[in-house]
Formats: sequence, C-alpha cells, structure tokens
Amino acid sequence: MGLFTLPTTIPWLSLIWLSTVVPAAIIALTPRRHAEAMRWTGAIFALLSLVLSLLVWLAYDPIRGGFQFIERLEWMPQLGISYLLGVDGISLPMLVLNGVVIFTGALMSWNIEERVKEYWVLLLLLTTGVYGVFVALDLFLFFVFYELAVLPMYLLIGVWGSTRKEYGAMKLTLFLMAGSALAIIGMLGLYFGSGLRTFDMIVLSRSVTLAGDLQRIFFLPMFAGFAVLAGMFPFHTWSPTGHVAAPTAVSMLHAGVLMKLGAYGCIRAAMWLMPVGANLWLPIIAVLTIFNVVYGATIAMAQRDAKFIIGYSSVSHMGLVLMGLAAATQLAMTGAVLQMFAHGIMTALFFAVVGRMIYERTHTRQLPELGGLRKVMPFAAWMFILGGLSSMGMPGLAGFWAEFTIFLGVWERYPLIAVIAAISIPVTGAYILRAVWATFDGEVKNPEFFKLPALTWQERTGAIILAVILVVVGIYPAILTELISTGVEPVVAQLTGVVVAGR
Amino acid sequence: MFQITDIPRLLPEILLLVLALLVLGSDIFEKWGRTPEAQLERVRSSASLTAIGLGLVFVIALLQSAYVPGTRAPQGPVGNAVLDWLLTILRNLQSGGPGGEPVTGAFATDHLTMIARLTFIGAAFIASLLCLDYRPSAHPAEFYALILFSTLGMCLMAGATEFIMAYLAVELTSIPLYILAGYFRNDARSSEAGMKYFLFGAMSSGILLYGMSLAYGYAASALAGNVTANDLTQFGRVAQLASDAGAGSTLLTLGMVFVIAGVGYKVAAVPFHGWAPDVYQGAPTPITAFISTASKAAGFILLLRLLTTAFPALSGGASLADLGGWTSLVAFLALLTVVVGNLAALPQTNAKRLLAWSSVAHAGFVLLALVAWAAPQPFDRDQGAAALLYYLVVYTLTNLGAFGALAAINLIVGGDEIADLNGLARRNLGLATLFTLCILSLAGIPPLAGFFAKFYVFMAAWQGGARWLVVVAVITTLISLYYYLRLLRAMFIAPPPSETPLPAPPAIMAAVVVAVVPLIVVGLFPNLILGVISRVQTVAGM
Repeated sequence: MGLFTLPTTIPWLSLIWLSTVVPAAIIALTPRRHAEAMRWTGAIFALLSLVLSLLVWLAYDPIRGGFQFIERLEWMPQLGISYLLGVDGISLPMLVLNGVVIFTGALMSWNIEERVKEYWVLLLLLTTGVYGVFVALDLFLFFVFYELAVLPMYLLIGVWGSTRKEYGAMKLTLFLMAGSALAIIGMLGLYFGSGLRTFDMIVLSRSVTLAGDLQRIFFLPMFAGFAVLAGMFPFHTWSPTGHVAAPTAVSMLHAGVLMKLGAYGCIRAAMWLMPVGANLWLPIIAVLTIFNVVYGATIAMAQRDAKFIIGYSSVSHMGLVLMGLAAATQLAMTGAVLQMFAHGIMTALFFAVVGRMIYERTHTRQLPELGGLRKVMPFAAWMFILGGLSSMGMPGLAGFWAEFTIFLGVWERYPLIAVIAAISIPVTGAYILRAVWATFDGEVKNPEFFKLPALTWQERTGAIILAVILVVVGIYPAILTELISTGVEPVVAQLTGVVVAGR
Repeated sequence: MFQITDIPRLLPEILLLVLALLVLGSDIFEKWGRTPEAQLERVRSSASLTAIGLGLVFVIALLQSAYVPGTRAPQGPVGNAVLDWLLTILRNLQSGGPGGEPVTGAFATDHLTMIARLTFIGAAFIASLLCLDYRPSAHPAEFYALILFSTLGMCLMAGATEFIMAYLAVELTSIPLYILAGYFRNDARSSEAGMKYFLFGAMSSGILLYGMSLAYGYAASALAGNVTANDLTQFGRVAQLASDAGAGSTLLTLGMVFVIAGVGYKVAAVPFHGWAPDVYQGAPTPITAFISTASKAAGFILLLRLLTTAFPALSGGASLADLGGWTSLVAFLALLTVVVGNLAALPQTNAKRLLAWSSVAHAGFVLLALVAWAAPQPFDRDQGAAALLYYLVVYTLTNLGAFGALAAINLIVGGDEIADLNGLARRNLGLATLFTLCILSLAGIPPLAGFFAKFYVFMAAWQGGARWLVVVAVITTLISLYYYLRLLRAMFIAPPPSETPLPAPPAIMAAVVVAVVPLIVVGLFPNLILGVISRVQTVAGM
C-alpha cells in the first residue's frame, strides 16, 4: 500500500505534464509588460507539478510494484501507437527530481530580465518534455517527448546563455539530435523486427520476440542514442560546453534532469526491451565508462572555469551511473538510479551557486579571479561545500549511498573495473576541494566583491530545498532505495533470465 | 462512355474552370485607371474573387467527399421542405463523390483524386491569400486565372488513368506556372526563373511523352496486330497486358524509366533538380510556395498512380539483395535526393534558396514512401500509399506556411537573405513564431505534423527493405537540422538591425496562420487526416 490512495478517475500523470504546458500557454498570451506576473505563474505551476509528482510518489504502492497509474488512450491504433502512461520505481524518483529542479530552477530564473516571456515559455516546454519522457510507456510517445525536451534548449542557451553560447547551443542540439537519430533506427528495428507491430513497451518487454541477432544489432544504436544524452564517453563533449553556455536554470535542468533522461532511456528503451543485445554490449560499455569516470574527473581537475569543473564532474558522475547500468546487477542498478537522483539534486545546487549566486554578481567564474567569497556570501559557500561533500561521496549525504552502492554492485560483476574507477574518488575530492578553496577561502581578492548585492529570498529558498533533500536522502536513503529496487528488479530479471536461458 | 451522371463527379474541375474564366473576365469590368489606387483596386478585386471562389470550391469538394464526419447526407426526407431541398442537393452532390469506374476510362474519381483535389485547391487558396498583398506588375486577373488553370491541371493530373490525359494535365499544370514564375518581368531573377523553368519543363515533357509512347508501343505490340483497340493508353490495360505476357519486357521497362525521369523533373528529384533552386528563388514568393507544394504534390500523386497501376509488374525490390524494378530506381533517386538536397542547402546564405534546396530534399523523403512497394505484404504497400499522401499533405501545408512567412518578411524587411531575418523575434514575435513552427515541422520536430510524416515515411521504406536508405535518410535529417537551426539563430539569437516593430500585412499573416494551425492539430492527432487517407488503399486499384 502507498501512504494513501488517489482517486483513479483523475489522470494524474497527464496532469503532471499538462501542469507545465498550461502556464506556457498562459504566459505566451500575457502582455509583455507583466514580467513579474509571468514569473509567478511559471513558479507556481512548477510548484504544482512538483506537488502532483509528490502525490503520485506517495500514493504509489511499492509492495505491489510494477507500473501504476496507467493511462491508455488510442492514438494511432492502426500502427500500434498509443498514448500510454505509467510510473514505476525508476520513473518516480525521476519525476520528483524533475519537479524539484524545475521549481528551484524557476526560483533561480527570477533575475532574467531580457525577453522574459519567451524564456519562460521555452523553459516550461522543456520541462513538459522531460516529464513526458518519464511517464511515457509507449516508445513512440517516449520519443516525441524526448525531442520536445531537447529542442527548446537550443534557443534557451543561444539567447540567454553566456560564454560561446551559439557554439555551445548548436553543438549540444546537434549531438542530442544525432542521439535521437540513432534511437529512431533502434526503434524501427525493434518495431518491425519483433513482428508485434506495436510501440507499447509493456508488451514489447513482456515477451521479447526480437530475434537475438537483431537485438545484438539494434541494441547498440538504441543504447548509444540515449547514452549521448547521458554524456557517455566518447560522446560527452557537448555536455561541458553546453552546461557552461547555458543560463543557470537551464544548466540546472540540463545537468540535473536531462542527462538522467538519457540514462533513463538507456534502461527503458534499450536494456529492458533488448536483453540479449544488452548482454553482448554491456561489458564493452562498462569499459568505456571507465573513461567517463576517471578521465572526466581528471579533466575537471585541470579546469579554471568553475562551471567547466561542474560540467566535467557531471560527465564523471554520469559515468558512474552508466557503469552501474553496465554492471546490470540489482545492487548496481539501484545505485545507478539513486545516483541519478542524487547527482541531479547536487548538480542543480552547484549550478545555482556558481551560475546564479556567484557569476551573476561577480561576472566571472575563473577560479584565479575569485577568492574569499565565504566572507561575502557565507550562505553560498556553505551550500557549495554541502554539494561538494555529496559529490565526493561523504557519508551522511545522498551521493555517498549512491556511489557506495554502485561500487559494490560493479565489484560483484567487474571487480577490475571497480578498482580502476575508484581512482576517481580521490581525484573528485581533490578538484572539489580545490574549487572550494579557490572560490571561497582566503582573502577577498577583489575589493569590488564587498559591494555585491545580497542573496535574494528566491535564491535562498531554492538552495535550501535542494540542500535539505541531499541531507534527508543521505540520512535515510531507504525512502528511495526500496522504491528504486522494485523498479529495477524486472529489468535485472530480464537480463539475468536471458543469461540463464542461454538465449 | 461519358454519361450525363458523370458531370457531378467532375464538379470540382468544372467549378475551377468556371472560376478561372470568371476571374479572367471580371477584370474587364474594373476601372482601368493608371493611378496606383486604381491598380490596387483591380488587384484587390481579382484577388478576393479568386480567394473566395477557391474557398467555395474547397467547401463544395469537402461536402462532396463527405470526409468530415456528419456531412454524409441521410437517406429519405426529414419533413422540412427547405431542408429536404438542401439535402437533395447534397445527396446529388455526394452521388458524384469518391467511387466508381474511371470516367471514360481516363479520369478516376476515387479517394486518391478527392484527397489530391482538396490538397491542391486548399494550397491554391492559401497561395491566393498570400498574393493579396503582393502586387503583380501588369494585369492582375491573368495572374490569378493562371493559378486557377494550373490548379485545374493538378486535379486532372491526380485523377488521370490514361497516358494522354496524364500528359495533357501535366502540360495544363506546367504552362501557367512557367508564366507565373517569370511574372515579374522587370526582375532579372524572375525572368530567368520563368525561362529556366520553361526550358527544363519542355524537355521533361518530351521525355515523359517518349516514355508514354514506349509504353503504348509495348501494349500495341503485345496485342500483335489488333491495334484497333482504343484503350491501349490506359494504365490498367498496360499493366494487364504486361502481366499476361509474364516476364518483364525491355521495351516496357525503358518506357517506365523515361516516365519516372519525366515526372522526376516535375517533382525536382535529384538528378532532375537542376532548375529548382533558381526557379524557386527567382519566382515571386507566393508562386514559389505554390510551385514547391501543390505542383510537386501533383507530380507525386501522378507518379504513385502511374507506377502502381501501369507498372505493378515491374515493382522489383529495394533491398541490396534483390535490385531491379522501379522500387530500386526510386530508392536510388531517393538516396541521391536526400543527400544532395540536404548537403546543398547547408552553405546557402539566402533564406529563399535555402528553403528551395530543402524542398528538393523533401522530395527525397516522399520518394522513400514509394519504396514500400517492394514489401511483399499488401498491408505494408498500403502503408506506403498512406505515408506518401500524409507526407504530401503535411509538407504542402508546412512549405506554404514557410514560404508565406518568407513572403511577409520579404515585404516588410525588403529582402530574403538569412541576414535579413536577424532579430526578427524582437521586431515581430508572431511572425517569427509562425515561421519557426514551419521550420521545425520541416525539420521533423515533434509534436508538429512534420515529425510523424517523416517517421511514417521511414517506417514505410524500412518495411520495403530499404534499411540502409532509411539510415542515410535519418542522418540527412540531422544535417538538415543544422541549416534549419541557422534560420532560428538569425531570428531569435542574432541582434536586430533596429528595434522598431515590423507589422506584417494581415492577409499574409492570416494565410500563414491557416497553414500553421493544422500543423499543430494534425501533429497532435494524426488520425484526423490519416483516417481519410487510409481510404485510398481500398479504392485506387492498387
């Protein structure tokens, strides 16, 4: 039983994604001069979507498990395309994560003064796409939402970004669209190869009718297509450039949620639906993720721009997620999904501090030019340190449990890879401490810093929400892990079942 | 035999002819002053007569088709005299609706023709709205009448089931368009466009006619002496003689290749595309919108009917293992078209020329749908036909919207270089948004209609066995995204030359809105038109 039951007559999941479309429409129709009203509309509806996600989360019954809150409508029945929504233990934490990040992101967007209307409309459309992906159970619908989540990013970064924004925006969009092109090929192979002529993922997964040979062929484009968005080596280069160029809320959403969307796609569309193919390719992918984890961390060490440090640390942490997925044990995958959540929150906090609190005030993110900011904005310093500790895997914070579980799981399957990847732990500690030290410690380098405006209530609220979640999950990870484990179980069973049956 | 009851079946064509003559004649009664006001008056009256007339013809055709749920006339009287009278008219109208044998064996009035008519008349309607603020140089009535004659030709092209009919329809479509493309005589580019279009068009007509004569020659020689038969130019008859003969004939194959080449010119498929960028760029923008959509769609529908009813025995296979037949040829043309079209669009600096190349590339995507005929299952072939029509309808709307928006931009900014688009979002957000939606639909971004159109076409070709072709096409979609994004970049990211707002002419904006709204609605609910399109499969004799 969930904590309470929600009336089943109401399409809760549709309401979640609609609750970000509606304000987009309202804002589009609001006259340009009411900028403040637009911000409030956006933020309130973002909060509403968060509340709805939380309601669904609390009402989800983890004992029964499986997909719940299923909604099904015919869309194009002659082609086996339906509007099919549902959530399980993997998508629920992602829903809540998206809710948290968009709400705090909305709070951090208060200072956008230029073309407010377009900004909010695009931001909310982007969120709609992300919500949609996490609730869609029809592969076609999944893909529609996926592309909807990618495209607004181009304009968001291109118009409101900084530091080589046009280059970053174009690179990001083309990489992600290349990923989706790969995924289309995987989808077509799956659709026609399985002979079922349906995009219904529940049906496709229940009896995997795609021949083993075809699975081995089409797993790769499908997995790689989504792994591009998850920032997998060697397709990760768009990610730091894009993160750095993006405005704060977009970086938060992007590193916080969108990259998870890639990992989610890898689980849902690739591993779940093509287990035979997965068993062939996952060991190779596991080796590649070493590069993500270790190389990403090492590059982060060498950066001077604080946002680049976070960007590369995202690559490294998402590498851990993919490594957990590649190990494909119950423990590793639970850890991977938990890491998706923990990293989402933590990265959002990082970008909020660096992008919004520091950069918007000092107009620099170069470590050598910063320094001593703890004296000027102690709140920002503590938030950054908290996020940093979680990133390093400090016990008592969400990141610890996630990384610990992933390493345990990977050790079960590929001990050597676990050992090599563990090099990243001290490196991560080093670059985080370096960033903290260079930004916040020591004397105030620039006397101008004393004149910086104080933090606004929106910034504080947003950061506190994120920090509290990090601590709560850190103290009591079971609120997520039990749920995640029920969601991961069928996928793992699918993969190991295949090994046993020797298909 | 032609019967008097066949007249309602030809009603849309007859109405178009009457309307065209009416528009041509009405100008005589206008004041022929030399002042700009009098000129404008003449333009306005011709334009509004055309637009209103086309709107009416569209509504009548729609009623006749009974595609809109609830418009099918009920049987028997309802009691109210006036209502019964109207119902009788509707019933008579719908008795000429889709169905029945081809009129005199030459003109089919099936669902394919009906959907095609609606598409062309709708496209002509939007194009005539686009022309409202565009002032043709000399005699406005001719300008509009030519659009109408061309539309009539397209409708005949879609229904033609006989070679001579098809050829005449092609000519009736093309000749007015040659004149329209060169309508701005004082503009060097427009004159060049008209001339180029005419020369290429004349040559392609010759090739088409030669192919048809070969097919006729095959049919006549297959009967070996019995050449008094007068049905040898009918598509179905040629197909029947070919299937009776069993093995494929070189003569017929050669005829088919020439026919594909001839129609390939009309639809601007690579390598027959040489004229397209210059003509599209040089022609007046509303005419470009019309040429690149309706005329192209008519070509594809003719191609569909020709290949599937006249040459079904030669369909062959599209996978690398069993090459041969027209599906292989079409697959090869599609490959060339998507690659060349998309790559050539990349370096363009003129927005109109960029869209011209993108239109070339889109022809390649439509060709993909024809490849579905290589599939063994009739179901998959039907999917191919549905995918083709769906793509054509969506593409017609999208490209009309895109060129329409470009026409508005050209009017208010005074150029159609990409640099002229700079900062448009700050100066006219509505227009920029509409243009963006069209571009994204062309690029195939969900939830706009263009996405499913592309996806459906990919599905059709995949099932036809052309998997590598689909892979290449998917990659070229990605390439196309780069140049489409450049347009977005110019409108939204690049700084505007000045901040003054640029109000767009209302008629053009209305036309673009009419084109864009269905893109969103159909994108969300593709079954709205797929339901109608899927009727094509059962009737068209495929």
